[in-house]
Amino acid sequence: MIAFVGLSHLGLVHAVATAAKGFNVTGFDPNPTLVENLRCGDLPVFEPGLKELLCQHTDQIQFTSDPKNLSSCELVFLSLDVPTNDQNESNLEPLRNLITWAWNHFSPSATCVVLSQVPPGFTRSLWINKPVKHLFAQVETLVFGNAVHRALEPERFIVGCADPQEVFPSLYSEWQSAFNCPVLPMRFESAELAKISINCFLVSSVTTTNTLAEICEHTGADWSEIAPALRLDRRIGPYAYLTPGLGIAGGNLERDLVTVCQLASRYGSHAEIVTAWQNNSRYRADWALRQLHRVVLPRCSHPRIAVWGLTYKVDTHSMKNSAAVALIAALAPFQITAFDPMVASIPVHLANLELAPNALAACHEADVLIVMTPWKHFSQVNPAEIQAEMRGRFIIDPYGIISAPGFTHLQLGL
Amino acid sequence: MLEHLQKQASHPNRVVILGSKGFLAHALVQHLTSEGIDCLAIGSSEMDLIHPDSMAKLSGLLQPDDSLVITSALTPDKGKDVATLMKNLEMARHLASCLENQGCSQVVYISSDSVYDGKESLIRESSTRQASDLYSLMHIAREQILSQATAKSKTPLCFVCPCAIYGAADTHNSYGPNRFFRTALKDCKITLFGNGEEIRDHILVDDVARLIGLCLTHRSVGILNAATGVAQSFHHVAENIADVLGSNVAIECLPRTGAITHRHFDPTVRIKAFPQFEPTPLSVGLAKMHRDLTTTSHK
Repeated sequence: MIAFVGLSHLGLVHAVATAAKGFNVTGFDPNPTLVENLRCGDLPVFEPGLKELLCQHTDQIQFTSDPKNLSSCELVFLSLDVPTNDQNESNLEPLRNLITWAWNHFSPSATCVVLSQVPPGFTRSLWINKPVKHLFAQVETLVFGNAVHRALEPERFIVGCADPQEVFPSLYSEWQSAFNCPVLPMRFESAELAKISINCFLVSSVTTTNTLAEICEHTGADWSEIAPALRLDRRIGPYAYLTPGLGIAGGNLERDLVTVCQLASRYGSHAEIVTAWQNNSRYRADWALRQLHRVVLPRCSHPRIAVWGLTYKVDTHSMKNSAAVALIAALAPFQITAFDPMVASIPVHLANLELAPNALAACHEADVLIVMTPWKHFSQVNPAEIQAEMRGRFIIDPYGIISAPGFTHLQLGL
Repeated sequence: MLEHLQKQASHPNRVVILGSKGFLAHALVQHLTSEGIDCLAIGSSEMDLIHPDSMAKLSGLLQPDDSLVITSALTPDKGKDVATLMKNLEMARHLASCLENQGCSQVVYISSDSVYDGKESLIRESSTRQASDLYSLMHIAREQILSQATAKSKTPLCFVCPCAIYGAADTHNSYGPNRFFRTALKDCKITLFGNGEEIRDHILVDDVARLIGLCLTHRSVGILNAATGVAQSFHHVAENIADVLGSNVAIECLPRTGAITHRHFDPTVRIKAFPQFEPTPLSVGLAKMHRDLTTTSHK
């Protein structure tokens, strides 16, 4: 039996993926309400494909809040997501508390794997007093919206070990083999920093793309023509993050940048580039706001504004650090009507926001439409219907998902 | 970088403006008066901040519910030397001496965009403060002195850092709209360095006054760059002035002596703080400046 302790986004996705690979799984969380909801198939997060996968493998997974069920598990993943505060700093206390409490219920012969997002040094601090035979730190870069696919078909396993020469226990090894991907054992600290390193490289691509896309906007160049050329460069690659966006959001990437800054500060390393990424991201998040003030407000001082999309990206319900929410907060004097397929309630501080039942309804009598999250559904709305609903002729469409003749259309990188 | 202590704007009880003879202070008094805000403008002839007795005068005058706007400074046209720096700092010392013991509703210090690192081409309120000469050092030092003093008396403090200000009443004759208009009107000529390629943000003095007014009515705390967010080349400014004058104004180009540098301002903090504030477009502002110059004795 394999256990996942902590059933937030990370734990749920990997528990279900493990069941899908044919293992029997115990999903444990001390919150009985959460467990009861999970037993009814009511998931606390939206993740494409997760609910369906759970339905297919419900016989192989049991959810419990009774710690006694952990004692028979020989492989235990500590999988609670580490939350971040407004400053994007990790709060490790819930994870530490859970571990301290759950340890006592593990079998002494169990293998314990930390799956949570932890900084360098965390797993080593556990190893010193571990009550279990084996302890590892496995890196998971949870990508909201694509987490199920990545969990079922991982690119590789990065595994932090007390001793990288150590042979993996049989059940852990069997579990790894089920996913048929390379396994890279390394010391704890390397694995923990590997996750941060991956995210730093992603952020560097994102911010470089955003910087150059903005220059495109001023020079007549078109970033969408440039990006394919970069993808064919072997040093950059076909999967590089080359789509312009509104800065980094969601919390995970931001967290890792904060962690690097904290480590650099502690050890006296030069990390100004990370600060520059953070500043660039904050700057990009306000792109739509600047376009609105530059192009629309001088021509229409009291605009009615329609916003499509509130989540920080598609295929998630998360609004953490969402550019849309920041935009609406910065437009307090104006009335805004928004629609997002995953958002049913308005954040409390957005008093100027009204939710519409659908995308077209949000456009009713609007002077400007701002598309903040590029949900596929939005690109399928008939432009003639948009035109009929709106009274103005401005579309701020950062990701260029709408083709509507007759509108002043503003897009990133063009 | 800018926080409003009053989300809903309301008139301050009284605004005391130090440096009433200045170009900006004059526009500010006009604006606040037009808004029905009580203000008291004090010039150096009534209270010379360089002299120690100014401390007692200010203490006797300043009420706890007053807002204080500090525009007083010896600008570079009055001197760029150490002596001028020390006089400016002496003013700050006297102000601080008063403000650390006697708080008021708010202090607004009119700083300058010169406080920012001249090498940065996109200036934001969070940009690095880096002295490039004694004038910028003066403003940076004054900001620190006032921060320390107002922290002691728990007085809300706001720094307003204007970019290049233009307007008919300007006396500084600095390179840009002010000098261009004067030479165009006097000699039918505008002289540029190189081809005037340098890009700068120019803001109409009335707009700066409006922004300070907004900071006062919201009791804003922090830093605000008073800029339009739309930078133009000096050549563009010169052409625009020539168009406004509608006569045969020649644009003359002198050999360039220094490297070309550009400076833009990111208006995001201003946009978020005051969403309904729209800066006057340069062409409109220059036309107004022309009207003011030709209907008053500013020539």
